[in-house]
Amino acid sequence: MYGDQGFTIFDLQLWAEGLGITFGVFLSSSILGLIFGSIIGLIRYYNIIGIGRVLMLGSEFLKNSPVLVQLFLVYFGIPALFTIDLSPVEAAIITLSGNTAAFIAVIVISSIDAIDKKQLEAARSFALSEWQILRLIIYPQSLAFAMPMFVSLAINQLQVTSLVSVIGVVDLTRVGDIINQRTFEPFIVWPIIGVTYFVLAKLVERIGARLEQRFSVHQASSEI
Amino acid sequence: MIEIHDLHKDFGDLKVLKGVDLKIKPGEVVSILGGSGSGKSTLIRCINGLEKITSGSIFVDDFDVRNKKDLMEIRKRCSTVFQQFDLYPHLSVLDNIALAPINVLKQNKKDAKIKAMELLRSVELEEKASVYPAQLSGGQKQRIGICRALAMEPNYLLLDEVTSSLDPEMTAEVLVILKKLAKEGITMISVTHEIGFAQEISDRIVFLDEGKILQNLSKDEFFSDEGGKSDPRIAKFLSKMGNQ
Ligand SMILES: Nc1ncnc2c1ncn2[C@@H]1O[C@H](COP(=O)(O)OP(=O)(O)OP(=O)(O)O)[C@@H](O)[C@H]1O
Ligand SMILES: [Mg+2]
Repeated sequence: MYGDQGFTIFDLQLWAEGLGITFGVFLSSSILGLIFGSIIGLIRYYNIIGIGRVLMLGSEFLKNSPVLVQLFLVYFGIPALFTIDLSPVEAAIITLSGNTAAFIAVIVISSIDAIDKKQLEAARSFALSEWQILRLIIYPQSLAFAMPMFVSLAINQLQVTSLVSVIGVVDLTRVGDIINQRTFEPFIVWPIIGVTYFVLAKLVERIGARLEQRFSVHQASSEI
Repeated sequence: MIEIHDLHKDFGDLKVLKGVDLKIKPGEVVSILGGSGSGKSTLIRCINGLEKITSGSIFVDDFDVRNKKDLMEIRKRCSTVFQQFDLYPHLSVLDNIALAPINVLKQNKKDAKIKAMELLRSVELEEKASVYPAQLSGGQKQRIGICRALAMEPNYLLLDEVTSSLDPEMTAEVLVILKKLAKEGITMISVTHEIGFAQEISDRIVFLDEGKILQNLSKDEFFSDEGGKSDPRIAKFLSKMGNQ
């Protein structure tokens, strides 16, 4: 009878595939979000061609509207507007990248703000170029400042990936749903899915802690 | 040679420098005195291009501060030491000193660090090479600030109240170094409230008042009763600074 099939070895395969999709969506949207968010933050900082404000308004919108709404907007809106096909995974990555970028931009700006600006004048007075100042002084100091925020954002965005299941991405959550509907064993299925997310999050946290330590060596010792 | 001609600097409606003319010859040690807000820092910041000049001209070794390319050349020739040190907190003391020589003068990393080490030795801080600025006292930070400036092998040293953030003991340890430098013949433009120090090291004293040069005299003239002190504003300033 339907819903009474018990677990099979294929469920394990399904689980692994879901895990792969979740991790893939998470990783690609994190990397893209980091790149675009940093660019937006820098455009804002250097106030390039006055578009910084517009971009920040955009990222305010992304930060303060539900990811689910953004997901629907991208998944149903973009194909309608540009008459192109968008797979659920593509829509998921676009949405989460944009959402992550919005948060990253804010972190980048506040991290640059946290730097004492007088040392930048000193660097300028020694004929360092603006690019050298960005690379040698602003970047390392703001990265040390931003790292803990990046890590907690990453852990949060990992949980947010579970929303992509509603547009048909077969991620970990969707896999849980599929297996649960077949087996009717919610108290086995969902704890396993939950623990999988938990382990993933812990993994991200661990890697994050490593990176934090690595990039904050100077900062830490300069606070003695 | 630094040649400043009819220099004006406004901040919006506020006119801070109102026609400054000043020449500084190689090897000269010039102290700039003047009351708070008279425009001393602004003058220094115009020379190294941290402030854009409103009108007039500044030439350093014939390089024009208004020209972007020239300004970079000027900045290589003029090193500034700052009141608040403004070291790079994420870099070790050694890297603070070697940063600009490596990245601006394109010195070989190893050579730059060897030279930085020599400079540290000259200010008796070689054991602090791998320490970060936050772990230093104010006086130590400023000695590093001086090393950072000297590492560029500048023709001109610009000093803006480099001891104002220091207690007397630390001030003394910094002044010793500057006195030595002055004797060695480096060209120095020094804004200071340390009248005794100015009197000891300077060839010339420039007195700035409300954005104009009130007096530009040799040291001996400036501190004589019939010279600088005959001007009531200067006499008042000196007595306020504790010099009779
Ligand atoms: N960036 C700025 N924007 C607006 N006004 C400024 C700026 N920098 C300096 N000023 C003003 O210009 C005047 C001269 O300042 P400056 O720092 O050159 O004085 P100073 O002679 O160095 O004084 P002090 O002895 O207190 O350091 C002051 O009235 C100051 O408020
Ligand atoms: Mg000043």
